[in-house]
Amino acid sequence: MGNDNEIIDNIANKEYEFGFVTDIEMDILPAGLNEDTIRYISEKKKEPEWLLEWRLKGFQAFRKQKLPEWQNFTLPSIDFQKISYYAAPRNKKKYNSLDEVDPELLATFEKLGIPLSEQKALAGVAVDAVFDSISVATTYKEKLKELGIIFCSFGEAVQEHPELVKKYVGSVVPYSDNIFAALNAAVFSDGSFVYIPKGVRCPMELSTYFRINTENTGQFERTLIIADEGSYVSYLEGCTAPMRDENQLHAAVVELIAMGNAEIKYSTVQNWYPGDKDGKGGIYNFVTKRGICKGDNAKISWTQVETGSAITWKYPSVILQGDNSTGEFYSVAVTRNKQIADTGTKMHHIGRNTRSRIISKGISAGEGQNSYRGLVQIGPKADEARNFTQCDSLLIGDRCGAHTFPYIESKNNSATVEHEATTSKIGEDQIFYLNARGIDSEKAVALIINGYVREVLNQLPMEFAVEAQKLLSITLEGSVG
Amino acid sequence: MNSPSEVTLYDEVINGFEKLANQASSDETSDLRRIRKQAFENFRQSGFPTIRNEDWKYTNLTRFLKDEYALNVPNLPVPTRLIDTARIADFDCYTIALVNGVWDKTLGSTLPQGVELLPMAEAKQDPAFAEWFTQNHNDRFFTALNTALFADGLFIRVKAAALPDKPLHIIHAYTAGTNLMVQPRHIWLVNERAELSIVESIVSEKGQTHIWVNSLTEIVMHRDAKLDHTTIQSAPANVRLVNHTTVRQKKQSLYNNYTFTLPGADLVRNDLQARLEEDHTETHLYGLYLAADRQLVDNHTLVDHQKPNCFSNELYKGVLLEQSTGVFNGKVYVHQDAQKTNAFQQNNNLVIGKKATIDSKPELEIYADDVKCSHGSTVGQFSEEALFYLRARGIGEAAAKALLINAFAFDVTEKIKHAAVETHINRLIGQHIPVTQ
Repeated sequence: MGNDNEIIDNIANKEYEFGFVTDIEMDILPAGLNEDTIRYISEKKKEPEWLLEWRLKGFQAFRKQKLPEWQNFTLPSIDFQKISYYAAPRNKKKYNSLDEVDPELLATFEKLGIPLSEQKALAGVAVDAVFDSISVATTYKEKLKELGIIFCSFGEAVQEHPELVKKYVGSVVPYSDNIFAALNAAVFSDGSFVYIPKGVRCPMELSTYFRINTENTGQFERTLIIADEGSYVSYLEGCTAPMRDENQLHAAVVELIAMGNAEIKYSTVQNWYPGDKDGKGGIYNFVTKRGICKGDNAKISWTQVETGSAITWKYPSVILQGDNSTGEFYSVAVTRNKQIADTGTKMHHIGRNTRSRIISKGISAGEGQNSYRGLVQIGPKADEARNFTQCDSLLIGDRCGAHTFPYIESKNNSATVEHEATTSKIGEDQIFYLNARGIDSEKAVALIINGYVREVLNQLPMEFAVEAQKLLSITLEGSVG
Repeated sequence: MNSPSEVTLYDEVINGFEKLANQASSDETSDLRRIRKQAFENFRQSGFPTIRNEDWKYTNLTRFLKDEYALNVPNLPVPTRLIDTARIADFDCYTIALVNGVWDKTLGSTLPQGVELLPMAEAKQDPAFAEWFTQNHNDRFFTALNTALFADGLFIRVKAAALPDKPLHIIHAYTAGTNLMVQPRHIWLVNERAELSIVESIVSEKGQTHIWVNSLTEIVMHRDAKLDHTTIQSAPANVRLVNHTTVRQKKQSLYNNYTFTLPGADLVRNDLQARLEEDHTETHLYGLYLAADRQLVDNHTLVDHQKPNCFSNELYKGVLLEQSTGVFNGKVYVHQDAQKTNAFQQNNNLVIGKKATIDSKPELEIYADDVKCSHGSTVGQFSEEALFYLRARGIGEAAAKALLINAFAFDVTEKIKHAAVETHINRLIGQHIPVTQ
């Protein structure tokens, strides 16, 4: 393959497609972090006393914790005092129709291909758009309301459903969980809240688009999804971020709670700004995502397509507490240039007859580093627990890396755990085969990669799968193994 | 770090170092004395590992460190009967015995042609010693402790192109009247085109006396050299084994390791590291651990692919009975230079005891793209179908289970190249298979 390097260079040099800055007036808190910052945020958001106290506890926990050292990459130093912890569009009034929304904002969404419009509504997607930190437009709310489904911004939920928030916030990811979760607990700006009542099957995909916009504003989203007994919800999270030179920290927390017989499907397409080809700029995506199958027969499924961010560092996990509950994790992580991904999952089998399935596909190109890190833990009471894990890595170019660190801990002699991992480059024989049939190398690689990740993309809801596929092809355009 | 003040053994080592160092090193070169001093300093800082250290995450030493140990090897009569228990029936080999890490020349047979053996205490004067003795100043924990305190061990030099007619059986016998910690240190050099097969047996007397063996072996495989290295660990419950082996492989060398751990020693920790320093090497690592009672068996392996075109294959199988714990951590590291690497690794575990635990962590760290690497790890139990099949044919439950365990272990035992050793291992396994479970 004589043109390998050229093509690899092409990918490496590809500019970030979604990089542009929207000019909207912002209400920004000066950089810095102390108790006053937290009080300010809490006051701005008119939060009840208990939430402020909880935030302050989070801040205490944050101050006590040190940055981790176990990760398989060098953590850049983060000056938490240089981050501004609150940014909200100055125009704070609520919109009833799209006409009232700042046209420039709408244009931004338009560029991202997010049809936040009636068309989208017809397509059956309710969008809770998070523009930096404050939810500005919520559609389809009325229809969901009829079913008793609550789908709103976190801030709204605090005002309108404090009992639910109080009961569940921090119940899966406590404020003391890790340093970034503690930071999030202290300063979280906004996020999404979903409650599906007993026996309700949410008729549409719920979706939130995140977008980082203001320089130096870390985004600290907090998402809480509760699926009550026998209910079902599919939630989509997708994000793109504009081009920027300074690193931005994104430390979100997502908590999922599935009661008996409930099912939550959480899908992510992540495309934050990855930095330029020298690794300058780019988002640090340090997210804590965890779900709990509280009742019997509950199911939680994580699907993620990670193509962006300078560093992606997250392990969406499932606590399988209820008997017969199921946890799933499907992941595609792509790194190129100097991107780093250290991602994977944790499956904690506590209840009897619990099962989990992990499919992870890593693709490393350029100087990208891709690590799968996973934990499968079988407790002494998890009789007949079952796990299957497969993690494959594909290497494109001789300067990238692929790493696998699976942990298997079994304390039960009736459990069955299987783990397998492979690492290789795209077979020259496969490319040759396709070349021989008149398919050029570029298309051949796209075809092979498509097949390689299909098992994961199949898990995504239809519209999302299309977007993800497009994203992958843009990301790896012209790559040859 | 840990809180060493609570660990009596740690204090003992720290306070006794000066004296021990003087005993061991009166005839040593200033270089070695300097290395020892550095190692001691490293150990003083690191102390014994705790579960907060990633490499010891699953191996909690607290309960073993509570006991007091003497650090001076006592002068005791040669335990002839104990050594005899380690002999392998019908195994045509040269046999030598080390008692508490000291080669006892009164026992054993003639030595193989082309193989030079020296006690480490004497080998310290040999130029090869200075060349191959570890220069690793980053050592800590047990390896640092061994470097700081080792007194003796076995130095083997297989001359270039030597092809000894029979394998060498090394019996390590450990015996003591009071609790003892020994630090045997070995260097084995296999020169160009030489071939050797070594079988090590580790035995000790059953009793109340705790013996902690902290052994360190450095093996150097020169160009085109071949070594078959089998270790049989069947010491009783009062023994704690911490075993560190580093193999440095030069061009086109072949190293095969077979490690068998049987019920007994309440702590077994094997660190096996193969460093593939030149191209076109081949490495096979096979392990079988059969753990019972409250035994903790921990196998850590590292295959470090530094250069292109090397092949490594690893298969570790574990059977965990009763309340035993098995730990497997297999790491394959492929450097950026190591293109055309083929590295495979597999770990299978049969968990039988109701309270048995297994922690398995296969790792791949790969920085080269033209590679084929894979690992697999499984945890399971008897296949109900297989059991049913056997029982339907009139085989009792216990016998059927024994048959299945044997079949499970067969993948590893069949790799042994000496029929007598294979029979010996199978007999040892047979002694421990649960008739009632």
